[in-house]
This record gives sequence, structure tokens and C-alpha cells, in this order.
Amino acid sequence: MIKRKLIMIMENKPGALVRVVGLFHQRGYNIETLHVDPVTDFSRYKFIEEKLETKFKENEISRLTITTFVSDSLMRQILRQLNKLIDVIAVSNEETTYLKGVLLDENLL
Amino acid sequence: MGVILKLSGADMLMRALHDEGVELIFGYPGGAALHIYDAIFRQDKIDHILVRHEQGATHAADGYARATGKPGVVLVTSGPGATNAITGIATAFMDSIPMVVISGQVASHLIGTDAFQETDMIGISRPVVKHSYTVFDAQDIPKIIKEAFYVATSGRPGPVVIDIPKDMTAPDKLYDYEYPEKANIRSYNPPIEPEQNQIERAVAAIISANKPVIYAGGGAIASNAFKELFELNEILDAPITNTLMGLGIYPATHKRFLGMLGMHGTYQANMAMHNADLIIAIGARFDDRITNNPSKFSPDAKIIHLDVDHSSVSKIIEADIAVFGQVKNSLEAIIKTLKNNLDDYDSKRLKPWHSQIAEWRSSHGLNYELYKDESDNNSILPQAVVQHVYNITKGEAYVTSDVGQHQMFAAQYYHFDKPRKWINSGGLGTMGFGLPAAMGVKFAFPNEEVVCITGEGSIQMCIQELSTCFQYNLPIKIININNEALGMVKQWQDMNYGGRHSESTYQNSLPDFIKLAESYGHVGIKIEKNSELKESLEKAFSMKDKLVFVDVYVDPSEHVYPMLVANDSLENMWLSKDKKT
Repeated sequence: MIKRKLIMIMENKPGALVRVVGLFHQRGYNIETLHVDPVTDFSRYKFIEEKLETKFKENEISRLTITTFVSDSLMRQILRQLNKLIDVIAVSNEETTYLKGVLLDENLL
Repeated sequence: MGVILKLSGADMLMRALHDEGVELIFGYPGGAALHIYDAIFRQDKIDHILVRHEQGATHAADGYARATGKPGVVLVTSGPGATNAITGIATAFMDSIPMVVISGQVASHLIGTDAFQETDMIGISRPVVKHSYTVFDAQDIPKIIKEAFYVATSGRPGPVVIDIPKDMTAPDKLYDYEYPEKANIRSYNPPIEPEQNQIERAVAAIISANKPVIYAGGGAIASNAFKELFELNEILDAPITNTLMGLGIYPATHKRFLGMLGMHGTYQANMAMHNADLIIAIGARFDDRITNNPSKFSPDAKIIHLDVDHSSVSKIIEADIAVFGQVKNSLEAIIKTLKNNLDDYDSKRLKPWHSQIAEWRSSHGLNYELYKDESDNNSILPQAVVQHVYNITKGEAYVTSDVGQHQMFAAQYYHFDKPRKWINSGGLGTMGFGLPAAMGVKFAFPNEEVVCITGEGSIQMCIQELSTCFQYNLPIKIININNEALGMVKQWQDMNYGGRHSESTYQNSLPDFIKLAESYGHVGIKIEKNSELKESLEKAFSMKDKLVFVDVYVDPSEHVYPMLVANDSLENMWLSKDKKT
């Protein structure tokens, strides 16, 4: 078990955060730290806007950082479960990113 | 579209459901849903079916969805209406069934005040839904309906809840109504087409395998891949097994079919899985009823896993080749690539594998050690009941079941040649599912034979729906396999708890099911002897326009076999009470 960091970009909608937190509990994973901010500087996420064919507006998306102690295989499973949440736009760990449901081989967030 | 109407929230909801193609809603009214119920009264496009309990509404919508492939729709009120619906939502979630559940909620200004019949439906349902919506602005109702149906039916299907505070449906506020043509959810993108390099890897593995097995589950049914799966195996000539959820996706009477696999799977299916060198998993998720001990599961098999859901692949058993996409599309791609490499595929090399399987099949087939003497000296065997039902209905009925021994007997002995005919709660294992699910199927296919194979334990969990069946004249055939005990619990107590039958019998407190059926306006037939079995069942099925409740008393000591030995590999099975492999 190693301490690992997950980063998520998600829709800033009511109930979105509890879906993420609830998923950790439901699947038996533990959250060590959690940090949420509304995204104000969209320049870092131009590639997401292009992929989604959208323009983000103020207070529309949030950035979440979660740290957790997990094994490699569990990390992959957590990523896949988070990717399934409808409000999650992108989620990444150190090596991979799911962006709009597509797996990419680098941490883009 | 293009026509803009001025409608109230409740009228917009009904209009949107109609524009979405909904024909039937299963529901139960209550305070927070009354504006919506008034809108139902004032329209004639959608039929509403009044159930007797909200759990019945969700199971009925679920049965409708499983039989038709279209999403089931449920309408309930807030508080207890919403919480009663939860079991049915969880049932649909575990089996990936498309469903849209609309729940009334207390008015916006009352939310959070512990108002009468207030409950946090979104919070309570969250772990058992694919997604959920709260209506904060009535103007959003058409868009939310469109999105909800899209989410429920696309990718890996599942239930979606829409919680609507009462003020959102108030008759005095009107809105411009326009139904969106398309749902656009920018963060949601379920895979459809597979990647060609994965297809090529899969085909290479298929070409080099000597002992392949196809293992197809409910995902193949959800993806409507019957034709593609059949076509693929016309080329491969591989033995094929189905999960409990997948029964019917390959014709059960076909010579290549091994029967169901897993906990109560056939000897040949489990042996083939254990000894295979290639497992082609199609819309199946290697759950614990299939793998038994994952570390001892099919030690020599390479795994190709076709699934629409990333999180189902390599969750329990590591896949060597993962093919993400709609199973139907992935199968099409495999067939196409395989056809281009047909010179490399020699199905004759599977001959030794087929002879090995034939040997397994003949040594311990399903009828192994069942009685041969059908005289009244013996009690009726539950397996025989299912066999007779199968013969009388020519294998063409829709069969719903509840959960327990009767469910396994139905799965083993009713041979489904077509998908969407076998309707059961596989993942959650919900007792009480069978009767309301049969109602949903009968509403969808009024001219088809619909049979509910149940037990005296399960049927009592939603028996109130007999009243719904009378109101809407649903001539379902209920086959109550009555062993006067919670059979599967008792079987485990016999096998693992020294025969101590803790709370698994009813101390002679069972109702007279015949009188019960009659008091609900139906016909009841009691069967206690082998000599009556065939004739009485035929009589029941001859009453085409009546719901017939057949109460069959069977041997209470009978167990379901084969049964996997706990925490072991698939080749270790109990074949009867005193015989292990």
C-alpha cells in the first residue's frame, strides 16, 4: 500500500462531491485527504475544452485532489469507478488519465 | 419539434415522457406526486398501472425492461413511496437494467425541514443508481428527462432517479415546452466501437486456442448481441456457457451449449471453464458465483474480456486482452477480422476438446441421480415441476423467478432458446421479484405465455400484487414450488451448519394459497402427488384468460446440485448429497 494522489475535474453540480466521497465508502476505499476548489484559471484545461467541444464558464467545474493508501490494482479500479461517474469529466493518477471516458497514458491534470 | 407550448411542470413531464416514447408507467400516488397524478388524469397517451406497493412498481418496470429492452418507468411519491422503491432500484442496478424512477419530493421551501413524508431520496438511492437528478427549475424538466433516458439506456444500462419537488409541478406556473432532440452530456461518453488492435489480438488468441470456451452473460443480452454471438460461434464451433443472467443469449438446446456455469452450473460447464486454455468473456463480470475462489479460477486460461464497462474488466480476474465497446459492435468486429483470416482458423483441431466435453456431459448430466420412479410412493421433485412446465409451454414462455432453490431449478431445467425470456434477479437476489416482474412482462406482451416460477417464501414478499393482476386482468401462471421451508437457506444449513434449521421453516403457519388466490379473484390449484402433476399443470395452462396459482408440494429435503465446493476451484463440486467430484 502506497500513498497515492488522484486529481479530478468535475462538473460543479449539487451532489457531485458526495458521489465521489460515497463511491470511496461504498467500494471500501479510504480517503486520507480531500481538497476541492472551483476552477478559475481555465487556461490549464484548454485541452479538456477542446476534447469536450465546450467553453467552461465561471464556477462551472471543480478540481478535486484526493490522497489515499492503495495497491496498484486497486488504484486502477478506483480510477475506473470514478471515470464512470457521470459528473466526472476527467480523472488521473500519476500515470494515466481518463478524459471523457477515454484512457490516456499520462497524467494530464 | 419546434412547436412551443405553454405547460405546467407536471404537464411538461407527461409530455416529455410521451415524446421519449414511454407507453407505460408503474406507480403509486401520494401527496408530493399529486400534481403529476392530475396531469396523468388529463392525458391519454401514457397508461399508468397502479400497483399495491412501490417495490412492485419497480420490479414490474424492471420485468418490462428486461423483456422488451426498453427502459421501465416508475412514478412514486416522496418519503415512504421513495424508500419502498429502493429494493427494486437496487435490483435493476445490480443487473444493469435501464429504468427511470420519478419520485415526488416535498416542496423546495420545505426541503431540509423534516417535513411530512420528506426523505433524501437522492442520498438514499445514490449507491444503487447510475445517476440521479433533482429538479431545481421546472424549465429544466424536458432536458432532464431526455438526459435521464439517455443515461439509463446507453453504455452499461442502469436505473436513473429524478427527484421532483412538488412546487416544480404546480399547475399555476406555465413554461415554454420544447423537447430536446438529443441529450448532450459533455462529461459522459460510453464506448461503442472497439479498438481494432485489441480485436486483432483477440482474433490471434482465438486462432491459436485448442480448448476455448465462450462465457456469455447479461451484458450480451443488454447489447442485443444474439445474432452476432451465434454467427461468431458458427465459425468458432466452441463450447459455450451462459451465466444466470445470460441464459437465452445462446440457444440452450444447441449441441454446443454447456448449460449455466458457476455455483449451481452444470458439471460440463464448470469443468470446461476450469480446463480451458482460452475464455472468451462476453458481457460477463466474473462475479463470485462464477469464479468461486479467484486464485484457483481456470489456472491455464488466457482471458479475452469484451465489455462496455471499463470497471468490470480485470476487477476480479485479470484480462489478457480487454475489448472495450458495445459487445454487439465488438463481436461484429471480431467476426469481420476472423473472416479475413479464415485460412488460419481450423475448427477441426477442437475435436479432442469436444470429445472431452461430451465425456463430462454424459458422466454427470443434469438428470444425474434424479428419481426414475414417478409413482406416488415418491414426493414430487421440484426439478420435475420445471421440466413439465417446460414441456407444456414448449420452451417458449417468458419465465420470471424469485430467489432460492426454485430459481436455480428453473435456470437449470427450463431451456431458453431466446434472450429476454428468462427474467430473474441475478445480482441482488431479490425475493419478491417474480410476481411483479411477470406483470411487467405481461403488460409488454399480453399474448405471450408468462410464467412465474416461485417458492412459498418469495411469493409472500410481494403477494399483494395479486390484486393488481386482477384489476388489469393479467392471466399469469404462478407455479409455487412449495417445500414449506426457505429451501436454499435450509440447504446451506444442511451442508454447513450440521442440519440446524435456524428460522428456515414456518411452523405450519403457511396460508392456504388456493383460498388466497381465490380471494384475490383468481384460480388456485393444489398439487400434492406425482400422479396429478402433469394433468393439473396442463389444466392450469389451459385456462388462457385466468391467473392460475398452482401450489405444488414438493420433496422438502431436495437440494440443488451441482454445487461448487466453497472457496475452491470450478472442478470441485458436490454432485449429490453424498458425492463430490
